[in-house]
Amino acid sequence: MSNSAGVTATLLSGVLQRANRRQTRNQIRGPHSALTDFLASNNISAAQIREDYRRRLEEAEHQGASEEPSEPAENDEAEQSLDESSEQRKNRKRKEAANLAKIKQSKEFARRKARRIGEPDDDDNRIAREIIYQRSRPMPGQLENCETCSKRFTVTPYSKTGPNGGLLCTKCSRSLEDDGKKPKAKKRGPRTGRRQNQSNLLDGIAQQGALSLAEMCTKKVADNINDIEEFGDLPSPLLHRLSQILSKRRALTSRTLNLFLRPDLDSINIYDSAKLETNDFQKIFAFMPTLTNVNLRFAGQLKNTVIEYLLGRDLRLKYLQLDAANLVSDSHWRRLFEKLGPQLEALKLSNLDFSLDDETVEVLCRNCTELRRLKLKQCWKVGHISLQALSSLTSLEHLSLDLVQETSNDSLIKVVSTVGPRLHTLSLEGFPNADNCLLETIHDKCRSLSKLRLSGNVVCTDEGFAKLFTGWPNPPLEYVDFSSTRDVENSNLDGSRDAIGLASEGLIALMDHSGSAIQKLNISSCRHVSRAAFEEIFSDGKVYPNMKELDVSFHTVMDDYLISRILQCCPVIKKLVAFACFNVRDVRIPVGVAMIGGLKAQDTIVTEGRS
Amino acid sequence: MASSATDSEFVTLVSGDGFEFVLPRSAACVSGTIRRMLEPSSKFAEALTGRCILENISGIVLEKVCEYFCYNEKNKNQSNVPDMEIPPELCLELLMAADYLDT
Repeated sequence: MSNSAGVTATLLSGVLQRANRRQTRNQIRGPHSALTDFLASNNISAAQIREDYRRRLEEAEHQGASEEPSEPAENDEAEQSLDESSEQRKNRKRKEAANLAKIKQSKEFARRKARRIGEPDDDDNRIAREIIYQRSRPMPGQLENCETCSKRFTVTPYSKTGPNGGLLCTKCSRSLEDDGKKPKAKKRGPRTGRRQNQSNLLDGIAQQGALSLAEMCTKKVADNINDIEEFGDLPSPLLHRLSQILSKRRALTSRTLNLFLRPDLDSINIYDSAKLETNDFQKIFAFMPTLTNVNLRFAGQLKNTVIEYLLGRDLRLKYLQLDAANLVSDSHWRRLFEKLGPQLEALKLSNLDFSLDDETVEVLCRNCTELRRLKLKQCWKVGHISLQALSSLTSLEHLSLDLVQETSNDSLIKVVSTVGPRLHTLSLEGFPNADNCLLETIHDKCRSLSKLRLSGNVVCTDEGFAKLFTGWPNPPLEYVDFSSTRDVENSNLDGSRDAIGLASEGLIALMDHSGSAIQKLNISSCRHVSRAAFEEIFSDGKVYPNMKELDVSFHTVMDDYLISRILQCCPVIKKLVAFACFNVRDVRIPVGVAMIGGLKAQDTIVTEGRS
Repeated sequence: MASSATDSEFVTLVSGDGFEFVLPRSAACVSGTIRRMLEPSSKFAEALTGRCILENISGIVLEKVCEYFCYNEKNKNQSNVPDMEIPPELCLELLMAADYLDT
């Protein structure tokens, strides 16, 4: 029985407990969050927290009423310390004071203090606090409010510090960075690289000292060409130079062309017309009614319509140079020569592969009777009929031919013998098969040459050259180019016994004849000139007082000694080209001389004062 | 007084708007125009007084020109000369002045 009673007792208590629980469940309370439940399960009461907070607020109010806060920093501190008892606060303040004292000893502090001296906020405590604050800045990955825009953002290792020491969000960091970058990019140091030096050297510039002011300004103008609205009354030579620079940079466009169109000028020089179109070419002739000199290179888009327009404008052209004008047909070339022929004094046509055939050249020669200067370079259709026609141009003073087609020796000799007596310039390229008869004709007919070129010839012999310069009544030449006159027969690599091309005898005769006036001499690839000949030409006591440029490339006999002899005998030499002269190794080059080529191109350029 | 001006070490350049620049004779004579003005044998007023009045050059441009004279003197006989800073807005006027002064 007692047993059963015990059982009921436990049963009862179980029921009571259940009832109790139900009772609490039946209590009506406001909604509470999952967090409150969770905290409660960990024995933390939300109500308790709320109560504490209220108490702290009250305390703070009391305190605030009793002691006036001295400075905002103190106020901050007060807020921080709301949950501290006075004991804890004292403790913390002591720690902080110790910390501040420690920081005031540090290097960082001294540095900041030195930087701030004189500024209104150089108070020691303030600086020290800033350092503490910076040290306690959030680690990467934490959230922080941006100092400038106050937006919340995630701190990264790349976050920048703002002007007041706080962190900046990505956007503000970037704008700060941009501000810092701009002046830096501007401050790039002067470029004095080896590359630029070598580039200048290849152009033959070994000048010491600064560029001329005009040259420097011209370059600057070219740099800023897109900001320039007009050149004003810039003189013509400067315009010419600007056109050269802009052409080289391929910056001559329809827009920049307008800067050069000035009705008061009589010449236009465009070295790169590749970007100009029909309208632009017509504009040139429309805006410049007094044009006499026209020089348009790379005029690939110059069409028949432009020639028609030019002819309709009734210009008094005297000098015409067109390069690569391949859209102009033969019929229009003929119309051009018929209309402008009698007034033209100089005509230079180059790189024409589509038109300008023999018939057109005949029309040219019939009409351009006053021509004093004629240059036909790389015109593919010009053949030996043209060459014959040229002999009617008896007023020519300068003749330059660079033919692509092979022509007969006789027609060339006929041209030279008829126009030769008046010629100042005779430049013949692309006549590989002309023989000693040509040299004899030059010797017999030409009396006033100052420039003579015969390059790429494989027939004329050394004897022929020697004869040309022996007893020649022509005054000394100033410009001579006999480059690549040599035999290139593969079956006979050493050359024939009678040296082909300018060789020892010819060169000695040339220097005897022209040494006193010669300024430029190109004898590259004249393979048969001996060392003894060079030694004789540049021996002690020989002086070539005007020699400025000398090209002795591919002369394997050249060595350090000969180069030094050349430098001795040519006191005003500026440019010495010596590619593939393998024995030139350690020659000392005086200041102001550009030595180009050579085995160790950089090393040989030793500069020293002129002795 | 005239004789002292002709062999004085310094010359004065005066701009059209009245600014005066005093600089070494050797530096100023980089300009062909000024050199001929100051040539003692010419007996020009400029040569006698050592003052060149450049009516058509403004002070701001002449200042840059004088800077160039000194820059040129400083870099004489040196290789790898760095380019002088020229403000873009001044370069056309400076170019005209350079052309006139033959520098």
